[in-house]
Amino acid sequence: MNGRRLGGLAVGAWGVLLTAQPLNRLAAQHVSIGPQIAFGDYREVSSDLHYRGSGIGAKATLEWKKFSADVVFSKVKYKPASDGTATTAFDASEVDVRLRYYITGPVSGELGFINRKADPEFEAQSVGAVTAGARMAYLLGPGVQMALSGGLMFGAKYSGGGTTSGVGALQLGLGLTVDALQRRIRVTGDYGFQRFSRKTDDGSGALPAPIQQSLGRIGLAIAF
Amino acid sequence: MRRSTWLLLVVPLICPALAAQTVQNATLRRAQQAFDNLDYRQALSLGQASLRERLTGFERARAYELLGFTYSGMDSILKAVDAFKQVVLIEPERELDPNRTSPKALSAFQVALTQILVIRQLRVDSVEFIGGQGAVGVRYTVTQPSRVVTRVTGGTLGSVRIDSTVANGQVNIRWPARMPNGDPVPAGNYNVVVDATIGQNSFSASQPIRVTHGAVDTLAHLTSLPGYTYLPETEVPPKSWRPLGLAFVYTGVALAGTSALSNGKLGSASMREGGAIGGGIVLAGFIMTLKKPAPQAARGNILYNSLLREQISRRNVEIAQENTRRRQQVALGVVPLPRTGGGR
Repeated sequence: MNGRRLGGLAVGAWGVLLTAQPLNRLAAQHVSIGPQIAFGDYREVSSDLHYRGSGIGAKATLEWKKFSADVVFSKVKYKPASDGTATTAFDASEVDVRLRYYITGPVSGELGFINRKADPEFEAQSVGAVTAGARMAYLLGPGVQMALSGGLMFGAKYSGGGTTSGVGALQLGLGLTVDALQRRIRVTGDYGFQRFSRKTDDGSGALPAPIQQSLGRIGLAIAF
Repeated sequence: MRRSTWLLLVVPLICPALAAQTVQNATLRRAQQAFDNLDYRQALSLGQASLRERLTGFERARAYELLGFTYSGMDSILKAVDAFKQVVLIEPERELDPNRTSPKALSAFQVALTQILVIRQLRVDSVEFIGGQGAVGVRYTVTQPSRVVTRVTGGTLGSVRIDSTVANGQVNIRWPARMPNGDPVPAGNYNVVVDATIGQNSFSASQPIRVTHGAVDTLAHLTSLPGYTYLPETEVPPKSWRPLGLAFVYTGVALAGTSALSNGKLGSASMREGGAIGGGIVLAGFIMTLKKPAPQAARGNILYNSLLREQISRRNVEIAQENTRRRQQVALGVVPLPRTGGGR
């Protein structure tokens, strides 16, 4: 899949860019990495295909001067919800990579991509897209930061085919970071909402087949 | 040194001087006694007789003074003036006590002063100053209009004229204590000599002085400016509900956005995930609202301290420059010494 190839290359490129610095500049970098517990809600095509599930994840962040990057991996086992007609559970493995650049005040610009793979492949849509948006962060107190982000997802590709208009794929995020133990440990809480206004056409005209996911993640990270 | 020790040292030095200032001549003593008994004729004859005897300068001045008082008492003013002239010529600094002297005698004394040329009350101020930045005050009184030349003599200086003027009465001059080339006068003992000349008459008075050299005091460097203290560079802001308010706003926007962006065909959006994270944010905001705010940099105070440090630093640079200059200067001290005799 194109999205997967793009995701792997991009992760590698950003990793090399952000870590291939002279040793004397590494002190200016802040890195954190740690596991997360994920829980989510997934819907597709209609309210009948409704799944809920939980799983694990991992999040890594890197800050360097005005740049920062988040790499999030999560694997959620979605099971059919009781109010739906779905019968088979599936695993959603998602990679979310974002590069952020501080602009002014609380505002940063974001650019990245997401790639979610469903297993078994035919139980849900695998999707990949480039993301672009903005993020507002506010320091609630010493070591406690919250952030609100939003943006569009462009060039979405689906395993089952289909298209999305320019502003048809949206995402929204809310995050909380609490530093503890003299900033050695970081408690993280993230919420992400995605909506793809996907349309399919089997020859009889365009049919809406939307995809929507709400994903919450709570975790710990070691900062150094 | 204890006071008693001082007395032991000083008294033997004073006694010969006291003896020299008392009348030893018997004739003069008898004349004084006759004057005290208002026997002016006896006082006059005995006074004149004493002048034919061997007298000290002090006794001679007392004898003429006694004659002046006696003539005044006898209303012989011209003779009284002549007698007082002799007194002033012998002791130019002599003054009569106006509370214990008759107006006639005082008047005759003043007339005598105007008829002879003398330099009286020559005074040199005791001063200390930085060479080139001060002057020594010299004062004297000349009794008749005359050409008065003031010189400093002695030491390696030779004789340097410091003033020349035609004067009558009190004269004040200022001497910068510098050599002709501008250097401070070397340390040592000198004489300030005042010569007054009018026609064939002349009079000279002198005052010995001692010039000392010393180091000029340097200034201490500053660690603070008087009246100005450093301010704390951080300050704790007042408690605010802003963290909680913004936590509600951020959470509300996220949840409202989720609801608004949710596709209607997929049913109502799930708020479980957003609610959990949003709840955590609101809780964090509430805790941060209750917590004492972290000290924040006080920009105004930092600027103030920076200015203060800059001022102190600038002042210390000036002090260092001033001290360098002062180390090259000389503190001159001028002290008048006791005179050994009167003028002539």
